Amino acid sequence: MASPCEVLIDTFDETLAKQLTSIAAEEAWRIENKFSRYNNSNIIHHIHTAQGEPVEVDDEFCELLNFADQCYKLSDGLFDITSGILREIWKFDGSSNIPSRKQAKAYLKRIGWDEVRWQAPFLTLPKGMEIDLGGFGKEYAVDSAAKNVADQSSAAFLINFGGDIYANKPPKEQDSWRIGLEKNDALGKANSILELASGAVATSGDTRRYLEKSGIRFPHVLNPKTAWPVMRAPSSVTVVADNCTSAGFLATMAMLKGKHADEFLAAQNVRYSLQT
Amino acid sequence: MKNFKNLSVALAGATACLSGVANVSAAETLDKNDFGNWDIKSAILFYNESDRVQAIEPVITATKQIDTDEFLSFKLVVDSLTGASASGAVPSTEAQTFSTPSGNDSYTTPANETPLDPTFFDTRYALSASWVKPISRFTKLTLGSNFSNEFDYLSLSSSALLAHDINNRNTTLSIGVSAAFDTIDTVGGIPVAFGRQLPEGQEQPRQGEEDDKAVIDVVLGVTQVLSKDSLLVFNYSFSQADGYLTDPYKVISVVDAASAKPIETLYENRPDNRTKHAVYTQYKRNFSGNILDASYRYSTDDFGIDSNTVDLRFKYRLNEQSFLKPHIRFYSQSEADFYTPFFVDGSQPLANNSSSFATADYRLGEFTSTTIGLEYGRDNVRRPWSVALEYYVQSGDEPDNTFGQLANQELYPDVDAVMLRINFDY
Repeated sequence: MASPCEVLIDTFDETLAKQLTSIAAEEAWRIENKFSRYNNSNIIHHIHTAQGEPVEVDDEFCELLNFADQCYKLSDGLFDITSGILREIWKFDGSSNIPSRKQAKAYLKRIGWDEVRWQAPFLTLPKGMEIDLGGFGKEYAVDSAAKNVADQSSAAFLINFGGDIYANKPPKEQDSWRIGLEKNDALGKANSILELASGAVATSGDTRRYLEKSGIRFPHVLNPKTAWPVMRAPSSVTVVADNCTSAGFLATMAMLKGKHADEFLAAQNVRYSLQT
Repeated sequence: MKNFKNLSVALAGATACLSGVANVSAAETLDKNDFGNWDIKSAILFYNESDRVQAIEPVITATKQIDTDEFLSFKLVVDSLTGASASGAVPSTEAQTFSTPSGNDSYTTPANETPLDPTFFDTRYALSASWVKPISRFTKLTLGSNFSNEFDYLSLSSSALLAHDINNRNTTLSIGVSAAFDTIDTVGGIPVAFGRQLPEGQEQPRQGEEDDKAVIDVVLGVTQVLSKDSLLVFNYSFSQADGYLTDPYKVISVVDAASAKPIETLYENRPDNRTKHAVYTQYKRNFSGNILDASYRYSTDDFGIDSNTVDLRFKYRLNEQSFLKPHIRFYSQSEADFYTPFFVDGSQPLANNSSSFATADYRLGEFTSTTIGLEYGRDNVRRPWSVALEYYVQSGDEPDNTFGQLANQELYPDVDAVMLRINFDY
């Protein structure tokens, strides 16, 4: 998942702690291997090399594609799992390599969930298009790992995969978990404290991933309708929800709303924090 | 301002289809109601009126979350009162002897002092239960019942409150109904209206052992979130009480038409129904952790008592874990239509005339009161606690129809009280 992952467990039982940690880790690796676009033997690779032919997917994938379909509809097309292909021209490595508008425009005809035929369990992807579950994969992994851990133990735990977090309940003797939110300009130093009794937290933003040219920062959230970053978006958005997948979707949606992120989040009845 | 749709329902539906997703309510920061555990809070109130009533009131509340948004709670209150309370009789230039409510004993009030009934002691136990249950995504029902008992008083009540969220949960509409039934088992029996209090040992004028009353309350409310940091509450309430509303322990002095010296003491009598209307508005605002809470209440009833209450509190955050909360409250009321501090001999109703009404109870007279207080508390810690100290002073105007010896007496002395309240959460 290319980011630090941790599992905190409220127990004095070292064996249990190790067991639960490996359950979470195994689930993370399983999801990574199954859905990563960098793996040359998984279902994603199979779909990308199917040359416009239908591919049958398993139950879990069906659920995720149904969810992606819902997200696409809920977001009026802003949340689109076919937009991952834009990484070919947008490399958010902190450099100043900004593609031209023409280059970006050329990619638009390779993006669009509405071009994909999805009739469970068959997915038919037009040639030249790709799907990328990165938009909610890490959050889904957090939820899924949490479910597996909760099935094994009633101990309070917190799962943190690179800032996407799920906590089942507060540790004994404490009201809540205390989560430090990173500040933009001093990575690694807690900027403010979020108290989480239970629930999930997800963050979207460019504290680590961005491009910068002539003093303008291009956030890593891309609008699939323009193939261009959403300018004037907050630099980061953190959302608390009942599960990490929802929190991640809302955080990403907020970024996609650009300067209207705050208003969007205010209408969602969730706890959130926003850095400009 | 763009209008954004709340996606929570659709999103919850979408994620519910993901069988691999764990789900837990994203509880508010300090919501300690972990499933399965009782959340216990306790409070103790010490109340001391100078020269009058002292009270100690411990309260224990236990709340249990039985499901997301579903709570069961119980509350036990024990009230222990001792001391003396103004009987309603006027002071005199001579010592006065009164019979106690039982009629088996007597007490003497020294010259020029407000007659206080010193037999005022009681212990009240009240147990209440409430159950909050969501009945749909946006509607919540709270059912409650209450039982309270003193040696001469029993009260039973039930209530139901329905709250419905609309407008992206920015507006809550509520309607509540409660019904109470009280039984009064007066020490010595129910006095005859305007019956004359006789010396100890003699048979007092009585009309039975006990009586009862029924009270119906209806509340209609709107709570509106104004912004991320503020909200406004508006309530209308209606209350109808029927039955025995007289205070069997309060009396009225009959004074001589020339000297104004008390010559006899009569039991009071109040109407047997009371209709009250009240409006209440509250504004709360969060200024980056400091919270302003301002409210105003206007109430009017067919006893003729109109009242205004202004209450201001400000929770000032000293640091992340402690706060100071100053409090000030102003209250004023007009007197009941049948309030009279005394009868001039010849104007008093005849005994048993239950269609005439009169009381000399200072709580039904015209007065203003002020409460000022300061609370210090620790919150955001594992065991929150707070201590509040409040001072209450009530003052009323002296009646303007005094004459004779009453012209030199204080008929409406100020009452002041100090309250200390300690809250502790386990």
